Amino acid sequence: MVAVLSKKAFKLPRVEKEKFILLIRLGLEYNREQGVYSIKSYNNIEKLTDTIASILNSEVVFLQSCTRCGKDFGCSDCKYNELCTTKDLPFSCVCPQCLRDRKHFEEYLEKF
Amino acid sequence: MPNDLLWVEKYRPKKIEDIIGNEEAKATFIEWLKSKRRSKKAVLLYGPPGVGKTALVNAAAKEFGFIIIEMNASDARSEKAINEIAKPATSYVALDSFSAVTKGNLLFLDEVDGIAGNEDRGGVGAIIKIIEESRVPIIMAANDPDIDKLRPLKKVCLLIRFQQIRIPLIIALLQKICLLENVKADFEALEHIAQNSRGDARSAINDLQSLSEENHVLTLQDTMTLSFRNKDISLDETLRGFFSAKSVGEASSLLSRSNVDYDEFIMSVSDNLPKRYSDPNELAAAYDLVSQADVFRRRIGTEHWFLLKYFFNALSKAAAVAPESYKPFEFISPPIRIITLFWTKGKRTMLNGICGKIGAQCHVSHETAKHDFVPFIKNILQNQKSSPLASWLKLTPEEVDFLIKMNKY
Repeated sequence: MVAVLSKKAFKLPRVEKEKFILLIRLGLEYNREQGVYSIKSYNNIEKLTDTIASILNSEVVFLQSCTRCGKDFGCSDCKYNELCTTKDLPFSCVCPQCLRDRKHFEEYLEKF
Repeated sequence: MPNDLLWVEKYRPKKIEDIIGNEEAKATFIEWLKSKRRSKKAVLLYGPPGVGKTALVNAAAKEFGFIIIEMNASDARSEKAINEIAKPATSYVALDSFSAVTKGNLLFLDEVDGIAGNEDRGGVGAIIKIIEESRVPIIMAANDPDIDKLRPLKKVCLLIRFQQIRIPLIIALLQKICLLENVKADFEALEHIAQNSRGDARSAINDLQSLSEENHVLTLQDTMTLSFRNKDISLDETLRGFFSAKSVGEASSLLSRSNVDYDEFIMSVSDNLPKRYSDPNELAAAYDLVSQADVFRRRIGTEHWFLLKYFFNALSKAAAVAPESYKPFEFISPPIRIITLFWTKGKRTMLNGICGKIGAQCHVSHETAKHDFVPFIKNILQNQKSSPLASWLKLTPEEVDFLIKMNKY
């Protein structure tokens, strides 16, 4: 099973105190009002992902945000998946459509 | 712009948004730089080369009106040199910092992991002192922050990690440069350059320039001359890729690309196997393969590298005993054996000191003292702590306590 999460906000099941402290130390932030987590620091992102995966007991995949069109997409669509050292981690990227689409690209360049 | 300019210089990011990738690291850095009350006076940007650390500092300083005072690897960075250059720059607030145009100085120490050797003696200590007293922001950049020398520095800095730039982002950058330089490039050619760069935008731009500057046309065929860059894959990354591999081939190809220490890696694999395989039969099969790999590792030694493929093969088979049962787990890393050695270093040093004293008095080697004398001396001291034996051996009260409480020797 694969859990697809958004870095901006995601929910986790209730965890014991030690685990919660570990999550916060690894870089998560908890919004008490909404009961959701978001990523505050990316320095330990691999360990953080492993910890979340062990809590959810499933593989964890974060959505990527496209720097050109702003849409969220998954790494599974990307053909450079195997070569990527930050595969499925929550970082910005360019979605496959924008990368191939010349029209989109020229519109993007006009912004600069 | 002059034509003979290197493209890396010509397209060096001038604004923060020109820097590709690492959006999260950029945001954290900008937030820190803009903040009036910084929780930490210094920041350490770390990550592989060519990902935009120096470019970000230069672009941000320009955008927010700071004057950069830079010391990089080409300068001597001894205690004296740092105190001569960096101290005045950080201790006084420049008059122009009150103007609307500039915000004063910013000290930038590039490649701090390169501070080493006699030339840079006392450099890290001097930097820490300057950070404590500084009235201006201090920014440092390093490729490898894990070296022992930087440990005290990391405690006083806000750490911001930079990742390799993703291939699609490098392709996008190359597309932009091609458009501005009127280069007609095949998408596949740019793709090949980006893949070959392994997340290093600087080397990708250099490759693009060297291949296309003359003809302004770039095909996939032209890029075939590029040699494959072999970048380090960390132990954690290798472990993650190794255990999630879906086939022996995938695990083996990852091992051949990684430059991890094989002895350390095999220990880590052994530590993590019980987390990977819950079925005892699968676990036994995996351990059997790891032991075969270990045999090959010993036979390889430092000369017989032609056996490496058999080592890779046996180890990769251990990763792919039951690929379908893979579930993510928290890795044990570094290896338990290394951690244990680290934690027991103090105890081992103490025991060695005691064995040295016994050896000197009884005219025996350290080993003989450890195995033949220590158990009896321990027994004597347990029965009578103030035994004259302790003073004859010149043991300190701490050493006597240590011997009495010691479980294993």
